[in-house]
Amino acid sequence: MAVPTRFAMPTAPGSASSADKDRTVQQTDIDALVSRCSAVKTGYLSDPYAELFLEPSAPRDRRYPLINRGTYIRTTAIDQIVAGFLSQSSKTRKQIISLGAGSDTRFFRLVAADPSIDLLYHEFDFPQVTIRKIEAIQRHKELSTAISEFSKLPGVDDGPSFQADVGAGSLQSQNYYIHPLDLRTLKPGTPLPIGIDPSLPTLFISECCLIYLTPNEADDIFKWITTSFRQPSQSATANGVGIVLYEPIGGDDSFGKVMIRNLSQRGIVLRTLQRYSTLDRQKERMRILGFNTGMGACDVNFIHDRWIEQREKERIDGLELLDEREEWVLLAKHYCVAWGWVESSLPSGDTNDLTFHNWSQLPVQQT
Amino acid sequence: MSDLDKAIEQLRQCRPIPELQVREICFKAREILIEEANVQIVDAPVTICGDIHGQFHDLMELFRVGGDCPDTNYLFMGDFVDRGFYSLESFLLLLCLKVRYPDRITLIRGNHESRQITTVYGFYDECIRKYGSANVWRYCCDVFDYLALGALVIGAGSSVQPTRSTDGEDAETKIREAEDEVEIEVIGLGGVITRQMSRRDAGMINSANLTPSALPHLSSSGPAGALLTGVPGTGASGNSRGTSTPNAPTNTGGAVLCVHGGLSPLIDSVDKIRLLDRKQEVPHDGAMCDLLWSDPEEIDGWGLSPRGAGFLFGADIVKQFNHLNNLTLIARAHQLVMEGFKEMFDSSIVTVWSAPNYCYRCGNVAAILELGEDNSNAVLRSGGEEMLFNRENTRRLASTYMGGSMKRGGPGRRYRVFEAAAQDSRGMPSKKPMPYYFL
Repeated sequence: MAVPTRFAMPTAPGSASSADKDRTVQQTDIDALVSRCSAVKTGYLSDPYAELFLEPSAPRDRRYPLINRGTYIRTTAIDQIVAGFLSQSSKTRKQIISLGAGSDTRFFRLVAADPSIDLLYHEFDFPQVTIRKIEAIQRHKELSTAISEFSKLPGVDDGPSFQADVGAGSLQSQNYYIHPLDLRTLKPGTPLPIGIDPSLPTLFISECCLIYLTPNEADDIFKWITTSFRQPSQSATANGVGIVLYEPIGGDDSFGKVMIRNLSQRGIVLRTLQRYSTLDRQKERMRILGFNTGMGACDVNFIHDRWIEQREKERIDGLELLDEREEWVLLAKHYCVAWGWVESSLPSGDTNDLTFHNWSQLPVQQT
Repeated sequence: MSDLDKAIEQLRQCRPIPELQVREICFKAREILIEEANVQIVDAPVTICGDIHGQFHDLMELFRVGGDCPDTNYLFMGDFVDRGFYSLESFLLLLCLKVRYPDRITLIRGNHESRQITTVYGFYDECIRKYGSANVWRYCCDVFDYLALGALVIGAGSSVQPTRSTDGEDAETKIREAEDEVEIEVIGLGGVITRQMSRRDAGMINSANLTPSALPHLSSSGPAGALLTGVPGTGASGNSRGTSTPNAPTNTGGAVLCVHGGLSPLIDSVDKIRLLDRKQEVPHDGAMCDLLWSDPEEIDGWGLSPRGAGFLFGADIVKQFNHLNNLTLIARAHQLVMEGFKEMFDSSIVTVWSAPNYCYRCGNVAAILELGEDNSNAVLRSGGEEMLFNRENTRRLASTYMGGSMKRGGPGRRYRVFEAAAQDSRGMPSKKPMPYYFL
């Protein structure tokens, strides 16, 4: 969501100062959040937390229906992937690690929906971004209370339930961590950040994040995950590690070329777009980089048409007139959700009990 | 130079005119539009344009490619405003031209010429930004209510006179012998002829419905033929204001209906459109709404529109409507087409899209459609100045649209394809936040 400052193209045409570029990038982060708030306000999404992360001075614009719809699909698709992961062997403690989490509210939404969920949640992002997030948490009691309540140890009524260091942009609690870190430091051999438990079934999320890294840096993160969370050939208990990506694809056609040009004028370069430009390449990426038990990829247009139930689709259609149908299809075909996982087989041989079993049931797009 | 001419000059430079002048022009425009019929009669030759959407610099490119007004007779099928950054300048320029040359430019209403839609899609905000109040937006919306719902082009020839290629060696160019009648000509980027298709080539035309273009008395100037039921005609006033002209018989073989969106299940004849009370905000449903919102689709009969307004309609609907109303073609806009234009249902309907690189994002080319005058084909400009000849593009265009599957029978038509104006001249405000990608 957030576009880290460091990924901005250093020599953008008409080269702005680095402070200007910082502001541009912060504006981009806020833009994404404003889009989320717009989708909430218009009734697409239910998310009481998004607004809390908006700084008081930030604009509260209403977005075009097409942007609202895209924000809705993106969120809903990843929600479905996450739900598929959490609902399987639901009594087992699970771990989610969100890469470049920005102002994402998923943690708060998950624990509000099920306060008894046994979940360890981590967010990684650059300090500039995590500092803002922690400031918002301290500003709003709803957010800090949610973390406290969820991190309360059984039998302990009071006491500090989380520690936040605003200056460093870090937050630690029993079940929720915010890590200020540069994703590019993650490569095979990098020790696990504090609080991460490699023995838990784990899901990594990257929403428009790895796309801004160089292909080698992005690949290194995959390798870091699959080596740090190495799976035994067989395991008696639930295990496995998976990843879900949401990012642009298809830079070869005229829409894609304009997208690359427009974004580069804002100092944003989609660095892995060329290497992972199609659904097939995204699946191959999963396989080669170690998420080789299963994998899938769909474009957002397919998800809109096939993952959303008819009744829900009618609800969405009724919210606003969508006078951007062709444009929607064009835009939606240039974003994808891709997922992959690696998991040991169980001694019982029963595939229905596997952590990522639900993912193998998702409707997939023929390529 | 009159105030109006000065306003036109100022708007041509993409500079807004004072609020008081907007009010005056909107008032004059309304006086003209109120006299127009729901379905305005327009004589060929005419150049038909699709959505503009506030892309002012691309509108200037359109005039460069299609000729200036009043030299060229124009018909704009709505959606002048919203989405682009210069809705105000684009619409006011077109409106000033309408007031200045009422017989040389026809404006019909698109679904964005609406109070409700413009508050969502940008025109309202733009007016507030540029004038500090909603007055100008209100004046414009009052004009929207008076725009015609459609137009009927009559007197179009069954062929266009082939444009001479400047590059006779090019393999993609097929120059026909003079006696061959060119039914479709596509002039691609840079004014390069990418296709000429002759009627003779086809071997599958239903010539009974077509008038040979060589017969002078069949031009629109004389009601020589037998009365064809349901054919709205004209005494060929040579202008686009047919209100004072009684319907007269014509035998040029059918008219071209122009409408922003498409057909309505409540409308089975052009006459029924004439009965509507159009002077109102676009309703949420009903015939007037459908005309502005519907889309053709590969279905049988009618279908629900995913847009939430209007309907989808299939080939059977179009063919029956054209047959009953003696139309040779329906020209409409409303849908983004990456190649600028798209003929469907055996060329019984065409979508014309005139906003290149729509929303500064889509990467599409745009097109305008020229219908020549019966017999004479007066409009014969060479296609623009030399620009970069994009061979790949023109080849793609040619293969997409001119593949063997197209059946012929409509009026002669020339499509001019054009790209977005050069980037630096587009003047996209750099401060404008662009939430148009998901980041």
